[in-house]
Amino acid sequence: MHTLITRRTILCLTAAACALAATARSSAFAQTSGADGFIKTFSDDLVAIVNGPDPAAQKKAALGPVIDRDVDVAAVARFCLGRFWADASPAQRTEYVTLFHHVLLNNISGHLGDYRGVSYTLTGDSAQGANTLVGSTITRPNQPPINVQWVVDTTGTPKVVDVIAEGTSMRVTTRSDYASYLSQHGDNIDALIAALHRQLDSTS
Amino acid sequence: MRRTKLKPSPVHRILASAAMATGALALAGCATKPPASDADALQDYQQTNDPLEPTNRFFYRVNDTLDRYTLKPIAQGYIIVVPTPVRTGVHNALANLSSPVLFADDVSQANPRHAGDTFMRFVINSTAGAAGVFDVAKSLGYPPHDTNFGITLALWGVPAGPYLYLPFIGPSSPRAIVGRGADTVLDPFTWVPRGYGLLTLNWARYGLGIIDLRASYMSDIDHVKASALDPYATFRSLYRQNINSQIEAARHSQDASPPSWSAQPAP
Repeated sequence: MHTLITRRTILCLTAAACALAATARSSAFAQTSGADGFIKTFSDDLVAIVNGPDPAAQKKAALGPVIDRDVDVAAVARFCLGRFWADASPAQRTEYVTLFHHVLLNNISGHLGDYRGVSYTLTGDSAQGANTLVGSTITRPNQPPINVQWVVDTTGTPKVVDVIAEGTSMRVTTRSDYASYLSQHGDNIDALIAALHRQLDSTS
Repeated sequence: MRRTKLKPSPVHRILASAAMATGALALAGCATKPPASDADALQDYQQTNDPLEPTNRFFYRVNDTLDRYTLKPIAQGYIIVVPTPVRTGVHNALANLSSPVLFADDVSQANPRHAGDTFMRFVINSTAGAAGVFDVAKSLGYPPHDTNFGITLALWGVPAGPYLYLPFIGPSSPRAIVGRGADTVLDPFTWVPRGYGLLTLNWARYGLGIIDLRASYMSDIDHVKASALDPYATFRSLYRQNINSQIEAARHSQDASPPSWSAQPAP
């Protein structure tokens, strides 16, 4: 009797474990394939804007909604401020994130403004902690191809949190830029905010 | 009897003395290490690994000024005056001349695939590619790649050491300097005997190489300078990330797949 219960229990447990494993596997698959499809839509939208006939100002205006829809700007902003985020007051945080949003859009449209006749291919994805890395190769006429990896946060609705071009991460580079600026200016977050204001004024 | 003693060319001797001068000057200006009580600042300091930051920043400003008034205008003129196909040809020819060094680096990295690619590229492009102007080998299944002895040293486990910003050369590290020295020694063109026209070729190669490199990074450098609050720190971060990704790529390039020119296994 005892053996029977034990055996049945083990059978049930095994079945439950198998079912769980299967669900986990299928959800992991759904997660990465979701990131792939998400990046495909995102890239298609970007490429359509970049290759379009519109002047630079109109392209920038068209990029805004796509960035807002698919990039977790607040998370990227938080990452870029690094350890100083904890020291920032709520008012400073709000102002910084708003500024960062404009700066990011300016930088992206500044970068993409030079591109013409862009095409891309997705080269597969891999998990990286809670995130998914989606690889792509971007080709431009008369230029060597660029390897770009999109880092997608797939914990909720998929959102881009970083872009790694030829091994250099956008958010890591920006974080070291800001950290260095802050250390040169007495760790004063207001100085950083003022610098971002100046940068926006000079580029837009 | 003609003296054909092997001597490094003047170009490389100038580079070597510049490196030594930097070493001497670097000792003069050191960054102040934060006290142990400020844990966050100390961690930043260690991660940045730039103990000579004041000296490095000085040379960054020197190079930046030199670049603004000499190299950048020259490279801009080069882009405007010389049509793209010619610039690509120059780039290919320069890369072809570096093949012997690249081959030695591939061998030192124990990478037979890359060494074979480099060997075949040199043979094909030097002949069918008209002295390297046309990259014929690429379409025959021998793709280009790039590496240097600094990457080899990294694969051998040598740490990069502190960040260095050198006059004329830019971002570097002790490991990269040793690697550069090794590549210079490995380069047959370093040992061209005096009195031959090849010495002129060496100078032309060196000068054109700098212009070609500067021209190829024109928009990237402009973007960094326009978008960074602290361009010095941004270039430092970009340099480090780029070197690390090159090391990772070299470490993982030993794929067991057959090269594209050989018979492929059925999928």
